[in-house]
Amino acid sequence: MKSPSMPSASLTGRVAAVFIGLALAFAVHAQGNLEIDTPAISALRKAMQQRHAQLAPLYASGAVGIAADGTVSLRDAAAVPLAQRAQANAAVAAENADRAALYREIARANGHPEWEGEVRRTFAQRWLDRAQPGWWVQQGASWSRK
Amino acid sequence: MAAQPGTRESIRVETSAGGFELPCGGRSRRALACSLVLLMLVTAVPLAGAAVFRVLAARVGEIAGPGFAVHELRVRLDAPAQGGEVDIGRLRIGAREWRALTLRCGRLRIDAGGLACNAARMEQGGRRLPFEADVDLALGAGPVRIALRLPDGGRIEAGTEADGRLRARLHRLTPAAAADLLEPWLGDLAAGLRGFKATGVLDAELDYRPADAGATTASLRGRLAGGGFGRADGLLAAEGVGADFTLEARSTGAVWSWSAQLDWDAGAAYIHPLLVEAGPRLRARGRFDGRRIELERAELALDGLAAASARGVIDTAAGTPDALSIELAGADLARIGPRWLAPLLAPASAQRLRFEGRADARVELRAGRLETLAVELHGAGFGLAPPLGGGSARGDDGKEVVPVEVLALGPVDGRVRWSSRGPGAAALQVGGGRWEKLALGAFALDAALEPAGLRLAGARIPLLDGTLVLQDLALGWSAAGWEGSGGVVLEPVSMPLLSEALGLPLMAGVMSAALPGLQFGPGELVLDGTLAVSVFGGWLQASGLRVREPFGVASHLTAEIEARHIDLAQLTETFSFGSITGHIDADVRGLELSNWRPAAFDARIASIAGDERRRISQRAVENISALGGGGALAAVQRSVLRLFETFGYRELGLRCRLANGVCEMGGLDAEPDGGVRADGGFTIVRGGGIPALDVIGYNRRVDWNELVARLQRVVAEDVSPTID
Repeated sequence: MKSPSMPSASLTGRVAAVFIGLALAFAVHAQGNLEIDTPAISALRKAMQQRHAQLAPLYASGAVGIAADGTVSLRDAAAVPLAQRAQANAAVAAENADRAALYREIARANGHPEWEGEVRRTFAQRWLDRAQPGWWVQQGASWSRK
Repeated sequence: MAAQPGTRESIRVETSAGGFELPCGGRSRRALACSLVLLMLVTAVPLAGAAVFRVLAARVGEIAGPGFAVHELRVRLDAPAQGGEVDIGRLRIGAREWRALTLRCGRLRIDAGGLACNAARMEQGGRRLPFEADVDLALGAGPVRIALRLPDGGRIEAGTEADGRLRARLHRLTPAAAADLLEPWLGDLAAGLRGFKATGVLDAELDYRPADAGATTASLRGRLAGGGFGRADGLLAAEGVGADFTLEARSTGAVWSWSAQLDWDAGAAYIHPLLVEAGPRLRARGRFDGRRIELERAELALDGLAAASARGVIDTAAGTPDALSIELAGADLARIGPRWLAPLLAPASAQRLRFEGRADARVELRAGRLETLAVELHGAGFGLAPPLGGGSARGDDGKEVVPVEVLALGPVDGRVRWSSRGPGAAALQVGGGRWEKLALGAFALDAALEPAGLRLAGARIPLLDGTLVLQDLALGWSAAGWEGSGGVVLEPVSMPLLSEALGLPLMAGVMSAALPGLQFGPGELVLDGTLAVSVFGGWLQASGLRVREPFGVASHLTAEIEARHIDLAQLTETFSFGSITGHIDADVRGLELSNWRPAAFDARIASIAGDERRRISQRAVENISALGGGGALAAVQRSVLRLFETFGYRELGLRCRLANGVCEMGGLDAEPDGGVRADGGFTIVRGGGIPALDVIGYNRRVDWNELVARLQRVVAEDVSPTID
């Protein structure tokens, strides 16, 4: 997925090549495929689907909220029975590790590891849109119930 | 206790005929006594006749003592009602001051012994305080007793004796009652109790004896039942805590010697990210000079630890240990690991980590920071289960089996000593290990530790019948994670063992590697050098190896592979693919494995030039056709196919460029001399000799997963695929 190297003799040629490259990059960028599938992405999605059974009640109780940065956050541990708080924290940590890996892997699979931040932002908005009514979501720095 | 000069003590008697005032000067406590005596005299005189007076009022200017002062004290006795009031204009305790305190006695009794104010209510600034009090005040240096009855049934009793002994008892004190009680006096503490939603019932006894036989002693003992609290965010909380505690202290001068004991027998606490359950018992003793607590020895009994002790100095102002040395002996890692280590060290993998064996440790903290850590391991073992969704194995009967750990190490014996101030060392004997399906033999690790890194001169790790040799490994720790460099050599491993270990068909040959440019950063491993495999009569070499997150779900490997002079006869026999003779070269450019499965590559296979006998069996033809998506044989050829066991061929070529789950196929046409057909098909095998037939592919875009499934069927079932 590497772009072929451009033969350029002159400086202007090189500058032009850079501009064209940038323009192309943006064009491709706009079309970056978030639905791209690789074995790692499907494994991550499967892991996250399995974990969702554990996280869904935590979203519903408000213990865990959908954070603005594409992660989930243990925003109100008091909503979890004391004995289960450590497990809830571990589930949140594991989910965030998988989410970080997912964003990295999608950017990588698109051939642009540097898009990770963009993918993360896009997903953050998507998680927020998909949050069920009653779940806690973070916009900016403040939390509210959807 | 000295009265301020110039204050005026007096007693005023009001009768039905008017009032008069009697002077009663002198030192304040005596003045109070004098006032009381006068009161009694005046009370006694008219009792013979009619009720001559109704009210007596005594005014005592000030009573002061160490740490407290009472200003504008007034006592009023209402004879007919047997009641009375004690007014305190200002009360100062320490640096705090309260105004307008009134004690309204339900029954006020004054006699030769002193003053008793019972069923009293107290007001401060016109607001009633939430308790009922009994106060007994003896004259002279006699005892003082105060009892407070709280609305929820709790009771506080305190009393001083003539010798200065102070005893106090808290009986069923609840945080709610305590907060109400403390509100006017210590508002911050009351707000804290309420803010932390404290619950529970406290029973305690305090006994303080000043300068008894040369030493002042104090003891506190009690029990908390059903104790709990919760910070608003829930990250610090406790529930149902039951604990017995005692504190004994003794002082002959400015320094106290103390000993304390805490037995926590019920409930649990969450101290993010740790769940701590009842069971720990603490014994401690030390000294306290008012500024620093010196911990001579503390012993903690904790489930999973044979012994734990600590000593050190804690700065009470800073709240941090100045110096603390902790010794842990006989830690049972199977119990300590999941509860204490995993949540702190690897929360995301906490549920996947396994611990076993025992450890001893010594930890030294200075100024709140870790200074040295010495750990001794005895038969310690660690394992990491596969991540969720990371592939669960299925047994022969199709049932899911317990997944094999992706990483395992142990038993590990030896010592690690790290210091933040200088060199340390690690000397470990590792009994074995496993990464994925590869078993590692026993090896020794001797590393020099630095405050933020380690150096390993070399290590030889047995891998099957070969050896993985680590050379000049240097690791550094930064906020981003571990990074380092070094070299790796794989001394030859026989392919039969390796293929067996990896669950692949048995292959002959050996694998070796020289990767002098090993580099790794957070989550990434770069192996500059070459991995070479001699296999199928030829060789294969991989270079440009990069591995990301080798133990995660999103593990990712990239490499360039070239294979030369591969004997197809051996290859096809190994994979039960029918039979092809002849040799090929193969190139796999831009190979990307994601979660150890191919995600992208550009692969070409081509028969090598030169004279040799090239035959292809009927079954191999059928298999290749099937892989090509069917319809790869002309009808006329299909009838020929059934007549002969093998066919001659001139050349074969196949290309698969995998991206986004689709393999873009090509045949000989991918080669420079071409093979493009008028019907849009591509030639995979070009026949030659007698009998000859061509294998043509028509499907240029094949779903990769489908292709793999077909290939697996062909190889595993060892049956001929059907040809349409």
